[in-house]
Amino acid sequence: MKVLFYGRLADAIGREIEVAAPGGCSVGEVRRRVAASHGAAAAELDRSRTLIANRLVGDDQPVDEADELEFLPPVSGG
Amino acid sequence: MSVVALLEADVLDPQLELAELTEAARGDGAIVTFVGLARPESKSGEAVDALVLDHHPTLTRQSLEDIAVACAERFDVSHVRVVHRCGTIPAGEPIVFAGAASIHRRAAFEAADYLMDRLKTEAVFWKREVGESGSAWVEPTEADLADRDRWG
Repeated sequence: MKVLFYGRLADAIGREIEVAAPGGCSVGEVRRRVAASHGAAAAELDRSRTLIANRLVGDDQPVDEADELEFLPPVSGG
Repeated sequence: MSVVALLEADVLDPQLELAELTEAARGDGAIVTFVGLARPESKSGEAVDALVLDHHPTLTRQSLEDIAVACAERFDVSHVRVVHRCGTIPAGEPIVFAGAASIHRRAAFEAADYLMDRLKTEAVFWKREVGESGSAWVEPTEADLADRDRWG
């Protein structure tokens, strides 16, 4: 599935990566997979909100390959 | 009543924004505007060449709109106008315009103050300062959060 990042996470990981999301995979599992492959970003991933289709989703939310999952670190404000 | 919330990738001209707001505010008695500039120095005193504002393709503009609408509902104002830059803003250039028009001045002063306190803490941007010494991400300060919390 496509996974997108903003702010510090985009700096550390890139704007967009592909992550394998086999059936039954959850948002939390994707979070762990990305943290495992990008250790330096693990703390920032932990404090980031996750969205699918502009809606906040929790770690229990199931995902599938067609979803786009976005990780939003705490905002800086304007 | 009008509420305008814009995200600008290239140019923010405060004079033009004031002209638009003045045009909308015919019949009102007051306009209060705030223009925020990209500072040439970080809080720790290092030289800053530019601010870089990363944004979300839909949520950023939505956050500007939500704050502007809440402002229009909360204060006795006729017009609210928020224009925010994204991308790279060289030091010294405008980063935000926030303005309100009302029949009497007090509501417009309070509305502009409210707009900025919420924009500084809640607008969906990820901001970094870029200078000779590298690049540093910026988050709202305790003072910014306390300012925002004044409004309940």
